Amino acid sequence: MMDEQFDFKQKYRNLLLILIAGGILVSLAAIFISKPGPSRIWANVLLNNQYFMGLSLGAAFFLAVHRVAQSGWHTVLQRLPDAMTTFLPVAFVLMLLIYFGIHNLYSWTDNNVSDKVIEGKKAWLNIPFFFIRIVIYFTGWIVLTRMMRKNSTALMISSDLKYHNRKILFAGLYLVFYGITVSASSWDWIMSLDAHWYSTLFGWYVLIGMFVTSLAFITLLIWLLKRLGYLKYVRADHVHDMAILIFAFSIFWTYQWFAQYELIWYGHLPEETSYYITRLHHFKVIFFINLGVNFIVPFFGLITFKAKRQIGWVAIVAAVVLIGHWLDYWLMIMPAAAGDKAGIGLLEICMTLVYGCLFIFIVLRSLSTGPLVVKNDPYLEESLNYES
Amino acid sequence: MIQRNNILISFDDEVPLLQAVRKLRDNKEIITDVLSPFPVHGLDEALSIKRSRIPVVGFIFGAIGALLAFGFQAWVFTVSYPLIIGGKPFFSVPTFIPITFEVTVLFAGLSMVAAMLIRSKLKPEIRFEPVEERITDDRFVILVEAEDEETTLSRIRSLLSGIHTIEIR
Repeated sequence: MMDEQFDFKQKYRNLLLILIAGGILVSLAAIFISKPGPSRIWANVLLNNQYFMGLSLGAAFFLAVHRVAQSGWHTVLQRLPDAMTTFLPVAFVLMLLIYFGIHNLYSWTDNNVSDKVIEGKKAWLNIPFFFIRIVIYFTGWIVLTRMMRKNSTALMISSDLKYHNRKILFAGLYLVFYGITVSASSWDWIMSLDAHWYSTLFGWYVLIGMFVTSLAFITLLIWLLKRLGYLKYVRADHVHDMAILIFAFSIFWTYQWFAQYELIWYGHLPEETSYYITRLHHFKVIFFINLGVNFIVPFFGLITFKAKRQIGWVAIVAAVVLIGHWLDYWLMIMPAAAGDKAGIGLLEICMTLVYGCLFIFIVLRSLSTGPLVVKNDPYLEESLNYES
Repeated sequence: MIQRNNILISFDDEVPLLQAVRKLRDNKEIITDVLSPFPVHGLDEALSIKRSRIPVVGFIFGAIGALLAFGFQAWVFTVSYPLIIGGKPFFSVPTFIPITFEVTVLFAGLSMVAAMLIRSKLKPEIRFEPVEERITDDRFVILVEAEDEETTLSRIRSLLSGIHTIEIR
């Protein structure tokens, strides 16, 4: 039981690869037929980059936060978020591809437009510094998550306590770097789509969205693995705690959403309200679906004691949360990037499918390269006997 | 407070306490009460105590609080004393939310505290004699119901002979 390893069967690999290839083909066909325009295509690339990179970063955040708090209950689940962080190098390459669409996405890249507000931001918003920052963000994230993974592997092999103590150090380093860079990256990639608008809450809002999405994905992974017969030692108590986290941080996300919305609404300053005017006037349905799905469903779905303990039901709520936060990113990115051409059509669904299958492929492959449980972890005994 | 005769069994550690509770319940003894200085893990399950319904109280009163606060603000700002504040409409949902949230939390919290006090029968000027002075210090106590003290006492003494007890009286 301790040494069980996930067997990433060939038929599942093939299925995922076929879906990726098929998805790319259908996306190309959709582009050819409906001619959405380069802004919308690149906005899709940006949206999916952000979403799936966010899954990786939020997973590392989950681990880091628990390690810094010296929590024991999550130990039995450590390999799952560990595996999710292996997507970051792929996300790095995909984000660098934005270079080819940068004029379609960001209006501040246009040197012909002279605009006092954008002129003032030129020191930060210029193409060379933009890409230097991408390199800094991803290098830091990849190096730190790699350090955390290698440390876990070393602990599994040698059971030397120094690796256990290093976990907290690396977790702390990751948290500090992540806190700064996730804010800065959200300003760079999402907030600067409309360079005249800004919100000081934006970095926080994106961070919490990332964390909730990662929690939901980890929960779905638990459900999948249990269905395939693995993780028999992950009990209702562990599921309960994951559900508590999804519940609590969905409420926190709503709080951030509302804090950003209400202050802008009450201040009624034209330079701030432009963001919400676009979204409320042209995308009203999605605007309120976003709030409903990301608040009402996790709140009422996971409020009772029993609901939190059944992996089947929690997995359904997690799936809804995952879709809901994709919609949330859509609402952040599409109206600003694509404007009139924004929509949710075959292109969006296929590109998300391609990215999703790629993400799942990489995560499951990483999961299969080691035992599903971190042996020799001092907190493992506590985690296996955890009662919540 | 103790109406019937009770046998008192005291321990100095939670492990024999749990063992004794299980053994007594297996033998269909009626346990009136178990007293301990701190919450003992596993005791609720051993005594088959049902889960508390206080969270339900919290939810219901929280919902009442939300409706009251939102409704009150809506009435005040549309019917009773409409004021133009910052150019915002009279019935403006975002303005009502912070107070609604706070009142929800207030009602939920206060109602749960009140429910806990009522269910524990705690009220001002309450008096009761502790059965064992060290119950808040380092002793754990099981109170077993006994119509006939003598026979129950000897029965329990033999039942718990393998478990480390401090006193059975």
